[in-house]
Amino acid sequence: MHKIRSFLYSLLLLALFGTSAFAQSRRVNGRVTMEGSNEPLASASISVAGTTLGTYTDEQGRFTLTVPAGPATLRIRRIGYTQRNIEVPAGTSEVAASLTRDVLQLETQVVTGTATTVSSVNAANSVTVISTENLNRVPTQTLDNALQGKVPGATITQNSGAPGGGTQIQLRGVSSINASFGPLYVIDGVIVDNSSIANGITAITQSARSNFPSAQDQRVNRSADINPNDIENIQILKGPSASSIYGSRGTNGVIIITTKQGRAGKTTLDISQRFGTAAISNKLGLRCFGSAAEVQAEVDAGHIDAATGVDEFNAATNKCHDYEQEFYGENPFNYQTIASVRGASNAGTTFFVSGLVQHDGGLVRNDFYNKQSLRANLGQQFGTRLTLRANTELIHSLTQRGVSGNDNTGINPYTTFSGTPSFIELRRNADGSFPKNPSTFVGNNNPFQNAEVIKTPENVYRLIGSASGQYSLLARERQSLDFSLRGGVDSYSFQAKVISPATAFIEQVNALPGTIVNSQANVLSANLGGSLTHRMITNAFTATTSAGFGQSRRNSDVVANTGRGVFPGVTNVSAATQIFTTEGQGINKFFSLFAQEEFLTLGERLFLTAGVNAERSSNNGDAKKMYAYPKFSASYRVPFIPTRIDELKLRLAYGRAGNQPQGGKYTFLSTLIEEGVSGFRASTVKGFPEIKPETASEIEGGLDLTSFGGRLRLSATQFRKQIDNLILQASIAPSTGFTSQSINGGQIVTHGTELELGMTPIQMERFSWVSNTTYASNKGKVTRLPVPPFIPISGSFGSRFGNAFVQQGQLITVLQAINGCKALSSTGSCASANRILAFVGNSAPDYQMGFSNDFTFGPIRLASLVDWRKGGLGINLTNAYFDGGLGADTAVGNARSNSFRAGNAAYVEPSGFVKLRELTVGFELPAGLTSGMFNGRAQSARIELSGRNLATWTKYTGLDPEVSNFGNQPLGRFQDVTPYPPSRLFYLTINTTF
Amino acid sequence: MKRYSTIALAVVLIAAGCKDNPITNPIDAPTVDALSGGLTRISLQQLATGVTAQDRAAFGSLAYLVLPAIYARDVYRIDASEPRFVSETLGGNPDPGSFAGGGGFTDFFVAIRSANTILLALEKPDATQFSAAEANAARGFFRTMKALDYYRLIELRDTVGIPIQTDDPSAVTDIRCKTAVLSFIAALLDSANADFSAAGGSTALPFTLPTGFTGFGRDYNQVSNLVRFNRGLKGKVNFYRGLDRTAPQPALFQTAINELTQALGAGPGAVPASQLPVGPYYRFVPGGSEDFKNPRSDSKIGLNPLLRDSVQAGDTRGAKIVSRSTLTGGGLSTTITLAGAVPTAANEALPIPIMKDEELVLLRAQAEIEAGQLAAATADINTVRTANGLAPHPVFTSKTAAINAVLYEKRFSLLFEGAQRLVDLRAYGRLNSNFFRRELPTDPFNAAMPIPRGELNARGLTTNPACTA
Repeated sequence: MHKIRSFLYSLLLLALFGTSAFAQSRRVNGRVTMEGSNEPLASASISVAGTTLGTYTDEQGRFTLTVPAGPATLRIRRIGYTQRNIEVPAGTSEVAASLTRDVLQLETQVVTGTATTVSSVNAANSVTVISTENLNRVPTQTLDNALQGKVPGATITQNSGAPGGGTQIQLRGVSSINASFGPLYVIDGVIVDNSSIANGITAITQSARSNFPSAQDQRVNRSADINPNDIENIQILKGPSASSIYGSRGTNGVIIITTKQGRAGKTTLDISQRFGTAAISNKLGLRCFGSAAEVQAEVDAGHIDAATGVDEFNAATNKCHDYEQEFYGENPFNYQTIASVRGASNAGTTFFVSGLVQHDGGLVRNDFYNKQSLRANLGQQFGTRLTLRANTELIHSLTQRGVSGNDNTGINPYTTFSGTPSFIELRRNADGSFPKNPSTFVGNNNPFQNAEVIKTPENVYRLIGSASGQYSLLARERQSLDFSLRGGVDSYSFQAKVISPATAFIEQVNALPGTIVNSQANVLSANLGGSLTHRMITNAFTATTSAGFGQSRRNSDVVANTGRGVFPGVTNVSAATQIFTTEGQGINKFFSLFAQEEFLTLGERLFLTAGVNAERSSNNGDAKKMYAYPKFSASYRVPFIPTRIDELKLRLAYGRAGNQPQGGKYTFLSTLIEEGVSGFRASTVKGFPEIKPETASEIEGGLDLTSFGGRLRLSATQFRKQIDNLILQASIAPSTGFTSQSINGGQIVTHGTELELGMTPIQMERFSWVSNTTYASNKGKVTRLPVPPFIPISGSFGSRFGNAFVQQGQLITVLQAINGCKALSSTGSCASANRILAFVGNSAPDYQMGFSNDFTFGPIRLASLVDWRKGGLGINLTNAYFDGGLGADTAVGNARSNSFRAGNAAYVEPSGFVKLRELTVGFELPAGLTSGMFNGRAQSARIELSGRNLATWTKYTGLDPEVSNFGNQPLGRFQDVTPYPPSRLFYLTINTTF
Repeated sequence: MKRYSTIALAVVLIAAGCKDNPITNPIDAPTVDALSGGLTRISLQQLATGVTAQDRAAFGSLAYLVLPAIYARDVYRIDASEPRFVSETLGGNPDPGSFAGGGGFTDFFVAIRSANTILLALEKPDATQFSAAEANAARGFFRTMKALDYYRLIELRDTVGIPIQTDDPSAVTDIRCKTAVLSFIAALLDSANADFSAAGGSTALPFTLPTGFTGFGRDYNQVSNLVRFNRGLKGKVNFYRGLDRTAPQPALFQTAINELTQALGAGPGAVPASQLPVGPYYRFVPGGSEDFKNPRSDSKIGLNPLLRDSVQAGDTRGAKIVSRSTLTGGGLSTTITLAGAVPTAANEALPIPIMKDEELVLLRAQAEIEAGQLAAATADINTVRTANGLAPHPVFTSKTAAINAVLYEKRFSLLFEGAQRLVDLRAYGRLNSNFFRRELPTDPFNAAMPIPRGELNARGLTTNPACTA
């Protein structure tokens, strides 16, 4: 560390005493336009090749630049356009250039370090870049959904159809069992929290048989708060070879979000109004009883309650209710209003201010997701040396997701429907009251009443803000030294209530009817980072040296109070007869130092990077020890290539990242109570004071090829990721007074392939077709396991149905279940001693493909995205509910439950699917028409009709192959228990730019 | 100037980053590290409660309280959903991986670790918190509790042996044979007694024990009474060391007699009937956040039907046996149960003695029989008999008759109160088909539990290792 410090000081000294002077120079004026249209391009960057000299174009696309004497090459770039080099002979002082659109993203700038980027032409890693256009093609409830099908190597799965999010992103397979398993989100340099907090609905569903919030509460991960419309682009570092710069938070990959900034040029006002609706996209189908005899048979078989027997059947006017349609048939009126102002002042101020008001209704009456967001991104230039920026986003969301997922009280609508024959009327009576469900099998529960009387509001207030400054310490012709400092805060407060009044039938079976849960969380993440970047440009090479520090902390406090025996109408938990309280707190701190060298040479063909990030964290056993995360990479643009191939780049990158332990360091004292006096003794879980981060090393190699004059781009990547020092729970000899301990040990090795093929098969003035196809596959294997094989601690319903299992030599995503019987009994059942425990297959998909096609016919645009997941397994426990006689197809249901009884894994199903994720048709109003609108102030206007998740093709018999009863979990997320059904979303968008 | 201030700021920030204290202490719960800062009276109270509560948890487990009583053929537990209470006791061997073979182990070692942790923290007691006498009293108490838990462990494991914990929490030590373990326990009790001597009899513990230790005729917060508890347990240990079947030490019978006399404060025939139930007890608290019910209060429990026939006419202890609805399963059947096992609110809270004077009187009688002091033995046996409504025996002339008599008294005085009967049957070599019927055709006459699977796994073993002397 001392060495790094002295290095930093010497860089500072260099900056202080460096003199600045230009040799002979001249001025060059120019104008940059868009190819084909002659429209001026503002904010394009102009630089003199081989120097640090540069400037930007103004509103009219014009620039003036001081250029060294003699011939020079000007490099002209702008985000979204292909770079262009213009030769300026010694005597020329006026130039004109036009740029073409970079539809295949051949030349975006990709992240290489905390403070540095490189053009994707030279990048040594496969970094997926998603532009705002690609991201927001079809409106979405949350950001994660908008990424589905667009990122090769990312498995993005939505946990339930309930409004308001809950989506898991896994990059390049499973990379941890007991440490954190989701990617890191970074917005404008601020590390953003993506934790999931339970609302405590377990108190009424008893899914975890507990009074306290649990993993089965259908939680939402908080990346849902981010407003996708504010995003300029997203870069996805998929593995440690690229994410090494994020040290011990980089193992699971990093999602780097850059929001829109103001830019020079005419101030634009952009307003989009969206209207939409949703409809249930898949139903299970419920049984219709044809005769009283059929009803009697099921009563006799014990499948339905005698209280819902022949008398009720005969008395029913409607003998077959489609409960799914009646209950989930709400077609909500959804809307999003998005407005933004973007521009710059002559005084060097840039601004981007945006607002969002969003309402998404659920399929059930009274379920909804409301979100409002307000963003202000400001930048200010002081002279030529100092730039300051402040970005803030204030978000509020209010969600009511109703009741879904596992339950043990009969409260879940699908549980109720699986125990109530469809001739029972459950809908609201004419007088406003609700009929009591006669079925005691489901606790007399009436979901229609619950939807009216049970409230589950979840309020989130969130502030994400950052301030940054960049100061040019040195700006000479061939070198520059910049200092930048950035601080950010992400703070949110989560307030959830579950109010289940004593008037609900479901409460009346309780000893203390009337339940309230009040859970509150406050989470604060703050980080500060500073860096020095030195760039030296010679004719032979460009060398970029950067070094700096990063510091962050996270404080969290989650409190939940559950009250039982509350009077109807009361929402104060202290009024309860019995109160249960729980609290969890956490503080962690983190500090890192980094240094990196990037070297571009051989006529910009060879790009070499070496860097190291040294870091310590309070989560580690030794909080003062710095752990090093090195990386090396090289890319080479091959000079000798066949004709028709424009560009061929070979790349190889190695990097190491870590995953901090989430606990396990300390031996806590456990509370024991004797005769009402509380005492403490050491917990039987022993602390491991030496606990250290899991380490992930990845080697990634590949090639990028451009052909047909930039009309085709192929990117192929192969990687090997090795996770070592896995944090595991080891059993220890109980005679020591302890039974288990977290240890470091074990290894997972993942191999994978990712391909991206971008094409513009047609590119004419009035007609174009842009196509993007992605392919990704990966398989992770447990190659070392120093503890006995185990079922991971993340939720499952046991091997009778199927669970994840960690065993050396097996895939980490293997699914284990009882499948087979040594000897069947005379009645066709399998005694527990005879059941055969087996590995039934791989729960993860074999491969995933995304097909995106975008057609433009003059003003009309048609775009589609198809997401294909081949292979994979899910466990459809929902079927187990309905196989008791109330499924639509009783023959299939009976066959399945008989097979299950015979010891087969009858509820394990293939979960591969093809989904039409996005479809949109847009129409650009002709300029003539637009100019007639809003007094001619409108620049352009567009109307779009779009849909999300419009169609699904799958063999999976459940509602949706994506669901996860336990929400996000590293392993075994495939449990389908009476989920909230998925919906199709439809939107009409009117977008106007002024 | 601006440039200098920016750089100065940068340097300050980087330096501040390096200086920032990286350690965050957990704030949700205390850790064992909290003890290294020294004990206060409040923390010692909490830790002491931790030890007594854990000891109660270990005692009150089905594995300690119920399984030995089944092995001793006094009790059945018949539960269709848990057939192993029969199949791994009277119907077959216990599986070291199940609760039946693996129980009654971890909980005691956790209690011992808790006591060891406090003993370490007490090595340098804060003089402003505790007087030297109080610190000695506390040490004596925790050593005595450790001895009690080791004794319970060896009651269950017998000749299989058990490991002895050291201060190093990661040390996995050899499995020591019963003879060595008993001698270790005896030494531990003596060192505790030395602590008590150093403290002085009039000293009180620097914390308050649960009311089970104070509400049954003697206040064990007083060192003088803790000495009686300590000596009682020592006498018990020494008696069984004397009777040890692999390495008998007859010289210890007289030592045991002396220690038990010290514990009882009266010689043979001189212990008043009113003193017999005196001793430390476990109290149970059903409901609330504590919710610890007396585990005997259980509808699945019955008594061996032979028990009713064994009760002598006029024995007031016969009231402990009551009729119940027929309990059948696994080849066993009974229509009687312990009065205290009927699931009622009162029984859920019924206390159980840790060691009452009645047991000590009978232990002294056992030691006297072995020491050839049959008159004294008869006097002690008769103390218990007359207190329970029976006529006194004339002085025994036969050792065997005296043993039979004392075993009858112990069986009904201590019925379903721990592993005493199992220990006696083993010690006298009676746990076999010469003395008892086979309860089931496959009855293996289980005498001890194996080393649990978890312990074997951690040692890389699959079967019980030979114990070391």
